[in-house]
Amino acid sequence: MNLVVVGLNHRSAPVGVRERLAFPKASLGEATCMLLGAAQLKEAAIISTCNRVELYGLAADTAAAATGMRRYLHDYHKVAGSLDPHFYEFRGRDCITHLFEVGAGLDSMVLGETEILGQIKDAYAAAQQAGATGPALNRLFQKSFAAAKHIRSHTAITQGSTSVANVAVELAEHIFRDLRASTVMVIGTGAMSEATAKALRSRGAGTILVCGRDRERAAALASQLGGQPIHYDDWPAEFHKVDIVISATAAPHPIVTPVKLGPLMKLRHHRPLFLIDIGVPRDIDQACGDMENVFLYNMDNLQQIAQENLAAREREITVCRTMIAERVDTLAKWFEEHSL
Amino acid sequence: MNERFCLWLAVGFYVTASALTARRLQRGLAAGTLHHVNVAVVVAGFLLHTLALVLRGQHLHRCPVTNLFEVQVFIAWSAILFYLLIGPSYRVSFLGAFTAPLVVAVLVTALLAPIDIVAKAPKKHSAWVETHAAIGIVACGALALACVVGLMYLVQERQLKSRRPGRLLLLLPAVDQLDVIGFRLLAVGFALLTIGMVGGVVAHRIVGACPWPKTAWTLVVWCLYGALLGGRVMDVWGGRKAALGVIVAFIFTLASYWGATWLAK
Repeated sequence: MNLVVVGLNHRSAPVGVRERLAFPKASLGEATCMLLGAAQLKEAAIISTCNRVELYGLAADTAAAATGMRRYLHDYHKVAGSLDPHFYEFRGRDCITHLFEVGAGLDSMVLGETEILGQIKDAYAAAQQAGATGPALNRLFQKSFAAAKHIRSHTAITQGSTSVANVAVELAEHIFRDLRASTVMVIGTGAMSEATAKALRSRGAGTILVCGRDRERAAALASQLGGQPIHYDDWPAEFHKVDIVISATAAPHPIVTPVKLGPLMKLRHHRPLFLIDIGVPRDIDQACGDMENVFLYNMDNLQQIAQENLAAREREITVCRTMIAERVDTLAKWFEEHSL
Repeated sequence: MNERFCLWLAVGFYVTASALTARRLQRGLAAGTLHHVNVAVVVAGFLLHTLALVLRGQHLHRCPVTNLFEVQVFIAWSAILFYLLIGPSYRVSFLGAFTAPLVVAVLVTALLAPIDIVAKAPKKHSAWVETHAAIGIVACGALALACVVGLMYLVQERQLKSRRPGRLLLLLPAVDQLDVIGFRLLAVGFALLTIGMVGGVVAHRIVGACPWPKTAWTLVVWCLYGALLGGRVMDVWGGRKAALGVIVAFIFTLASYWGATWLAK
């Protein structure tokens, strides 16, 4: 089997090296064509993301091709010194296994992330349009897409978010079916509340209200999120309208207590309320979480869920590798039968 | 093939659906995985269930609602019917997972308990009485499903309240969606119950009085669900209390129906 991959990723190379060797999306097709000639390849494809650059090829002599691919990376990006210690290389069956694992998100910085599959599809489309692929790489990439899809739907490798902001969004989606109809209030304008609000907005959260003691900062964040700023002293008056509250103030005492929340909950007509308290010290009295229709999570809760989700994904790795091995066997047989 | 054999086969399909769901839950798989297989298995069970009712009806030459066994089988059938109507349209993941075990419990109880007793002197055949009874039982199917949705609400709410939610959180629908579906099923069930009850008044004017325990039972159940629905509409309760209400009301309905039937004898 004459497949070979040469590349580097977030584990083998620091970001400084990765960004020097990255290929702009627009020039991917042209770069793939140049790679064909430079490394004496019959077929080629280049995957370039913020976390990895990988060159795939089919060659009569894989050892010579691998050397040519390394040289090409240096030459194309005009790198003076040697970056060889950062590269890894897989040939034959190992090359197939590597691509299948990358596609399934097993080799990603965030285990099980799904964005990589789209990026591989883009890379393959660019190579195909440039006429750089043939029966071998067509088969290899198409089978890697099928394997990734199968693994996603038959294992829990993509289940459960692994970042605090996304865990908060995931919880919100299990309290409110349609986030578009929900109103979010951000109290305090710290980095974490901003990240959480952005994550909610990216999943379609409807209205976003931002209030902070620093009015300019609140207005700037509101503008970034496409929301509206409100005066810090006005948040209690708006509170009954909101469904999700992200609180991260520097207040020394809880600003939301059961005494304040009780009358407001009556105005909500049994609609649930999701309180995300990421302030330290905490902004929301823990007793609020015991109130009917109130769901309260603090920073520790969210971090713990993120860690547990990551641990659960890690437990799925063995199952995923077994599935991949079966598919690699089948594909390797096909390559042997077709003398590729 | 007799109706009891069909029913046991249907139970087999419903048990298979429950086992498939348990497998999905155990593996923490996405709601979509094996969903179609699960629905297909439930549909196969439902077809056999329907065939059993048709065979019993042909044997009796009337709607099969003459004894406790038939009523239970009919209620289980109605619950599956509502599941098949509601599940796909609301895209409620895992509704079948909670419905199938309940239906299995109701059917197995009916098949094993000595309640399939043929009346010695069959009541006078009346389309009015049969229609009234059938509507009442279909209402019970909607209320059974409301009970299932209420149970799902409580499970999901408990997950969220615990602040350490497990896999179930990702697999069950959002609590606000469950709350809305539960309310709609309660409304549909109550409307059908009301129609059935009015039909009953008309029917028994034609064919004679109904035994008082059944009349009393019908009134109590109607008032109970009326109060639950009224409380929801007037915003007296919702969420957890409403979910608990429909669960308790359905258990009471089933248990008291057994009691009323024995008393009526």
